Amino acid sequence: MSFDIALIIESVPKMLVGVGITLQLLFLSTLFGTLLAIVTLLMRIGPFRWLRWPAIAYIYFFRGTPMLVQIFVIYYGLAQFEFVRDSFLWPALRVPFWCAIIAFSLNVGAYTAEILRGAVQGVEKGLLEAGSALGLTARQRFIHITTPIAVRLSLPAYGNEIISLMKSTALASTITIFDTMGVARTIMAQTFKPYEVFISAAIIYLVIVWFIQMGIALAERRFGRYMKR
Amino acid sequence: MIVVGWLDEFMWGSLVVLQIFFLALIMAVTWGLLGAAAKLSSNRAAKLTATVFTTIFRGTPELLVLLIIYFGSAITLTSIAQFFDPEVKFVDIPPLWAGSFAVSLIIGAYATETFRGAFQGVDPGTVEAARSLGISSTKTFFYVRLPQMWRLALPGFGNHMLSLVKDTALVSVIGLEEILFTADIATSVTIQPFTMYMVAALIYLGFTTVIMYGVRLMEKRANRHLEGGR
Repeated sequence: MSFDIALIIESVPKMLVGVGITLQLLFLSTLFGTLLAIVTLLMRIGPFRWLRWPAIAYIYFFRGTPMLVQIFVIYYGLAQFEFVRDSFLWPALRVPFWCAIIAFSLNVGAYTAEILRGAVQGVEKGLLEAGSALGLTARQRFIHITTPIAVRLSLPAYGNEIISLMKSTALASTITIFDTMGVARTIMAQTFKPYEVFISAAIIYLVIVWFIQMGIALAERRFGRYMKR
Repeated sequence: MIVVGWLDEFMWGSLVVLQIFFLALIMAVTWGLLGAAAKLSSNRAAKLTATVFTTIFRGTPELLVLLIIYFGSAITLTSIAQFFDPEVKFVDIPPLWAGSFAVSLIIGAYATETFRGAFQGVDPGTVEAARSLGISSTKTFFYVRLPQMWRLALPGFGNHMLSLVKDTALVSVIGLEEILFTADIATSVTIQPFTMYMVAALIYLGFTTVIMYGVRLMEKRANRHLEGGR
């Protein structure tokens, strides 16, 4: 057994093509997931019980089951139903890429909704009382007081969620998507040199995580500038 | 209901999940305590090792860690075996052990940070008090620091246990016959993928629910000295 440097030099550019897919998965799922989380949050903390209940069930299911199972339910599972195969959504639902995006978005949406709920509850009561003393309506208080502070409070946990999502995108390789992990597994199957291939992939992932961490640190500084004295 | 015929297979799969869960849990707590000790020690080499450990296992995808460990160990063992006996084709660590080990490293890396924070949160006054009472440092560790640290670590560690049980699903990728693998087989026979993967999902939901309640009970027990007093 020897360490094959040439294989690393040869396979890293191939994996970098996969990085493009990884980043697409990450970006689109973060976008859709966050939008979904905001809707879920409003349902969850809103005044209507018939909206609150589905939000709780959704969060409970997606936080309580493994991401891999969710991907399989959506990618393999939905095809079981004729009405899904006949629907206008089928052209998207038969493509692994969009199934992965749907699964990741639903997952991130559930986790982020809880993060945001924690942040909203963490906003100091006194500020809201001050708002109502100044004659702001409940809606104005939510938009102008709760939201900006909650965004700042949620950032560290939200950042961890994005990093965790980035790592989960590797699961897309199980449904034949050639992201970084998918490319690595293909090269591994051809050469059977796990150390060279997977360690190169690991380094690529570590670099991506490092960039995301830098981005989050910047965002925290920007949204936290009111706290600087 | 077509599921009923598969319930015994799913039950065996669940037992495999429980096996991985407990094996990995024991190892993860060990890695976590060792890592926390290394991070808190004044030894620079130990600190650096622990930092490298947490950076790698928290920064790379779980699936990647699992595959490196399983295929890496297989290829190393195979070449060692071939050195002694060229006839040998393939030797691997049983997927159950490789899987538990990989999952434990990931959760252990997260637990390292949780335990480190929790140890730092223990009031140093209590440790000094034990010392002034002449209690040995081993006893101080087990009777003063550990119980107090445990209380602080529980909320974070509870989340790690939830991640752990969910990460066991990954082990199906290296061919272990757990719930997801069972769902796979059941699908190929019944052609009812949604039903079968949903059953797998609900079993996992059951596991996570039990763990959630278990952690809540443990937290209550760990905090019982705070009740009523104030």
